[in-house]
Amino acid sequence: MKTRILGTVALVAIGAATVVALFVVPPDANQGDAQRIMYPHVASAWLAYLSGGVTALASIGWLWKRDLRLDALAVSSAEIGAVFTAFTIWGGMMWGKPVWGTYWQWEDPRMTTTALLLALFVGYLLLRRLSDDPARRATRSAVVGLVAAADIPIVHFSVTWWRSLHQGATFGSPDKLLNPTAPLVFVATLLSMLTAFTLAWVYLVIRRYQLATANLETEHQARTSRLAAARLRRATVTSRTDGAPTPAGVDAAGTGEALS
Amino acid sequence: MTDVWFVVAGYTVILGGLAVYAGLLLLRLREARRTLNAMQQPGEGPTGHDARNGEPPADTIA
Repeated sequence: MKTRILGTVALVAIGAATVVALFVVPPDANQGDAQRIMYPHVASAWLAYLSGGVTALASIGWLWKRDLRLDALAVSSAEIGAVFTAFTIWGGMMWGKPVWGTYWQWEDPRMTTTALLLALFVGYLLLRRLSDDPARRATRSAVVGLVAAADIPIVHFSVTWWRSLHQGATFGSPDKLLNPTAPLVFVATLLSMLTAFTLAWVYLVIRRYQLATANLETEHQARTSRLAAARLRRATVTSRTDGAPTPAGVDAAGTGEALS
Repeated sequence: MTDVWFVVAGYTVILGGLAVYAGLLLLRLREARRTLNAMQQPGEGPTGHDARNGEPPADTIA
């Protein structure tokens, strides 16, 4: 019930922030209306970072504690991270074309490292399909989750470390956050979009975690059923070979093959 | 294409994608819970017997 309320609040918050970003905030003096894409673009990028961080912490937790619930949290966060990284790239492309004159430039370190982050998230999810053993699957994907997390500071500081077409970090330093050079209405709108998207992220992580734990439980039930069926078969065979009368013309294993 | 269309395309894909992902996630969750419930309650039917294994209902008088 609480999760449903959270989802409703997130939906309303995203709707309100979108209305403000599209119809209330004035267009940017230099970039015009194209700058409006900045709000969901930056919010998506922040959540891609957050997802990578949570995946890494949960992966470390799995490697340390061997608790499959931590692996469930890691996969939940990674899947949502892939979604928000894709949104970040799409928003950047839609902002880049009118402002830079190009959708994409492979020489740009921010764009390339963000594409790498998406590839790592997708690779993480694909790797999990290679094994049915929960522990092996969790350990393998935890390694990829940590590699994805290592890419996040490279994405963030790439605009500082290398020459880039991309602008500097929106929230590069605490000083910039506390004393923004942009008009307050732009900062307030961005913060409201960040809050709304973060609420949606929390809601999605909770739901995805519920899905992951339900799948784990299903796998466990299926494994238990298979083991019980195998034990029952073995017990039946043992009781028949230990003296129980065997129907004439049928082998002890009950396969139906005629005895010679 | 004017700037406005890039803004429209940007918001439509991001917000629409978010809505589609959330919807699909809820469907997957409902299906997973249904599968899990079916596995946890193998006894089907009003008397709880497992007809698939040929068991008689619990209240059947032999």
